[in-house]
Amino acid sequence: MLDRPGTSAGTFRTVGDRPDAQELLNAMAATVSDQIVPATTGGAQHAARVVANLCRILAREAASGGGAPSVDELRELLGDDANGPGGVASSDEVLVALDARLAHGDPEFARAALPVLRRDVERRLAIAKPSYLHEDASATEPETT
Amino acid sequence: MTGSAGSSSTTESALADLLRSAGWAQPAVTITGAASVGAQRSTLFIEITGADQTTAAVAQLSSGIVASTPATTEAALISLAAEAAVPVPRVLAVTDSLPDSGQPAQVLSREPGLSIPRRLLRSVAELGTGEALARDCGAALAGLHGLDADAAPAGLERLDPIDPFGAYCDGLTDRLDQLPHPHPAVRLGVEWLRRNPPSPPPRLCMVHADFRTGNLLVDDGRLSAVLDWELAHVGDPMEDLAYLCLRTWRFGNDDLPVGGFGSIDALRSAYEQSGGTWRDDAFRWWMAARSAWWACGLAAQAAAFSAGLSDSIVLAASGRRVPELEYDLLNLIDPATEEHPDGL
Repeated sequence: MLDRPGTSAGTFRTVGDRPDAQELLNAMAATVSDQIVPATTGGAQHAARVVANLCRILAREAASGGGAPSVDELRELLGDDANGPGGVASSDEVLVALDARLAHGDPEFARAALPVLRRDVERRLAIAKPSYLHEDASATEPETT
Repeated sequence: MTGSAGSSSTTESALADLLRSAGWAQPAVTITGAASVGAQRSTLFIEITGADQTTAAVAQLSSGIVASTPATTEAALISLAAEAAVPVPRVLAVTDSLPDSGQPAQVLSREPGLSIPRRLLRSVAELGTGEALARDCGAALAGLHGLDADAAPAGLERLDPIDPFGAYCDGLTDRLDQLPHPHPAVRLGVEWLRRNPPSPPPRLCMVHADFRTGNLLVDDGRLSAVLDWELAHVGDPMEDLAYLCLRTWRFGNDDLPVGGFGSIDALRSAYEQSGGTWRDDAFRWWMAARSAWWACGLAAQAAAFSAGLSDSIVLAASGRRVPELEYDLLNLIDPATEEHPDGL
């Protein structure tokens, strides 16, 4: 029989098993980089490099909690336009509404949106490729074009 | 799934048939390796064995996922570029649709040199030829841009000569609208581009449109061939010069704005000495425009994966590169960064 959470530390294991997602993804990246990449060539080697890089991205995403704190800023920016059909819009609905407002080409709104969007881009870039946020990034990620 | 050539033997057989139709006598094709890691196109090293000799060549097979210039039109343009002294491979055979797979395909001469970006950049750095290579690029682009646009192959797309920048923005808007998810940072950039067109070009000309590290073959540190003409069209010549300088094509060598190997002064001076006209405002505009374009391209590649059109992990990974291009785009249009005109 399972113990209730908190009644016997470490015995309720359906949530929060270790290693956690971040640890596992980093371990997967290291395994692929250190063992699979040297053992392959050509397209398979490139694919392995891409997989290792994706594991590192996902590890950073797991560490970040995957949240999008800028959505609240975007809601504020949009005002009434941020309201979805059922009340407060979801993150996706906020992005759709923002995209539609920007498509109108209103320069004043664009000026107000720019710093908010910049913060959102920087948040996502910190997950996808943090070195890109710095000058002279000595990128090590594989080319994916 | 799209983009599969089927088994190697099927591809070899299809390429042999293609060469036979181009006049080769009893060719046999053997695939000896994969040259490229491209997401839109696979490039194979092949050997063509005929009656009395073996020829090393390259076969390019498009994925068909991203629309591009027909292979036959591309081949015609490559031949035109050769006449303007642009270093290019020779076209040995071409079709817009291989039997069975339906893929556009070209067989090209195998020229010497490196194209894989990091290897190429390492080699150029070791040889100390970065500035000379940037000058090679400037001269090659001036040669291409000096061709008479009226001589362009009939199938080549043409930017609207009356409002080329508005037309380009319309194209970007279409690309954005076709994506399954909104990309407001790119949308903001496209609307900025629409409101801030640069000076018009003296005339429209043939542009390569994918002239960048990765599509340049470099031998002994110097330009030996310009590859991958599938995006070529008639447009503003500054598009090519700007695209070569996007940060994304510097592969980490951010202090060398021309493809990660050279300076803008070297590129510009060679371009102008070879008859080209440089426009600073258009250079910046096209850097922003092509950043937006490539952001859409990466998002479209990821969408093709998500839609089940491809199982390529490279295409899937493209989606996580979109913020790089958004970041570059915002840096280019944000007044707060204007004190750094090359500020990527």
